Amino acid sequence: MMHVMISLIQDMILAAIPAVGFALVFNVPPRALVYCAAGGAIGHGVRMLLMQAGVPIEIGTLLVASLVSFLGVYFAQKLRAHPKVFTVAAMIPMIPGVPLFTTLLAIVEIQRKGYTPELFSTALSSGLKAGFIVGALAVGLAMPGLLYYRRRPIV
Amino acid sequence: MTPTNPSDSEGRTSSGRPPRQLAPAEQQEVTRLCVESAVMLMQHGAESALVETVARRLGEALGVERIEVAIMANAITLTSLHEGRCITTVRRNQDHGINMHVVTEVQRAMLEAEEGRLGCADYRTRLAAIRPYRYPRWLVALAIGLSCACFARLAGADLTSCAVVFVASSAAMAVRQLVAAFHFNPLVTFFVSAFVATSITGWAAILRIGATPRPAMAASVLLLVPGFPLINSVADMVKGYINTGISRGMMAILLSLATCGGILLAMTVWRVWGWL
Repeated sequence: MMHVMISLIQDMILAAIPAVGFALVFNVPPRALVYCAAGGAIGHGVRMLLMQAGVPIEIGTLLVASLVSFLGVYFAQKLRAHPKVFTVAAMIPMIPGVPLFTTLLAIVEIQRKGYTPELFSTALSSGLKAGFIVGALAVGLAMPGLLYYRRRPIV
Repeated sequence: MTPTNPSDSEGRTSSGRPPRQLAPAEQQEVTRLCVESAVMLMQHGAESALVETVARRLGEALGVERIEVAIMANAITLTSLHEGRCITTVRRNQDHGINMHVVTEVQRAMLEAEEGRLGCADYRTRLAAIRPYRYPRWLVALAIGLSCACFARLAGADLTSCAVVFVASSAAMAVRQLVAAFHFNPLVTFFVSAFVATSITGWAAILRIGATPRPAMAASVLLLVPGFPLINSVADMVKGYINTGISRGMMAILLSLATCGGILLAMTVWRVWGWL
């Protein structure tokens, strides 16, 4: 139990830092930076717990993206800004960057060295993984609008 | 989606307010304000649904019966309808880089207009006063270095490798800002930055600095993942804006391909292999 707690806290801190780091690139207003950190930490931390409980990464991503998005609606109304202003930065630690680049590098390798089943399966499996996780993140972030704020604006 | 809106015949706006008297010149000014707000949002990375909603709500707040918006990847067409009179205008949309501060400010101005606290002239002053807020470049470079070091740590790299990633990603981010300041095409910027990052982590691998060179090489280029365009792309398509979604997604894939080119060039030049 203690071990899980320590690894969870470590995971949350390691996710909160990139969320804020990329929020600076997106020029998120200074007042919203703390929501980016909180969203990144909660999202990545809860996803780690879900994955340890055996939930597949795509489903886990969808669930935590929805969770962060619903929390974001509350803070967005307090901040008078669209939730995407800070929730997208909070999702950055979960963006499948390595699978994305692996896919493209494998495709370039197939072009350079010719087809091998290993390269092709790497390209296909990591490409599908990247695509499904990005889809889960975006659909999860859109969840409040899809379920609850259907005909009225959030802010 | 029906061509004739039943509320038109009753002379009411869709927000339920009775129509205000607007001279053609005033309607023209409202139309311009709407399209300028929409373009500002689009240029700074807002999703299409937000662009359309803000333009529509602003027009209605400033007294026009209805606003129709057609969003394309690099232009916005906007029509205002008032008392049987249409004014249509088009603005080119040039990408100014993601800036959530501008998106927030435009939306707050729209909210104030909606609450009746800003008229046309005030809104124009307010819009013109928005200066895109930017964090200091050195701060962003260091923060990105730290972020990528965290990614390396999450992927199981040891602390020495994380330090290498910190140096490589900070340098790559500084190069990215420098190249972008010279107005190079973003594809060139991403290619050069990926080359710099992979060169540094590649040399660290050659000199045996850090016991985990592979996660380090992977993490050091994560600052170049176009995460915001990717999420916006899917969000646009989910909400029915297939066109803008496809073009944003294609741009994100092209940027990633440019990054891969930079990675491959660095790995070929320095004869070090860290991927696949």
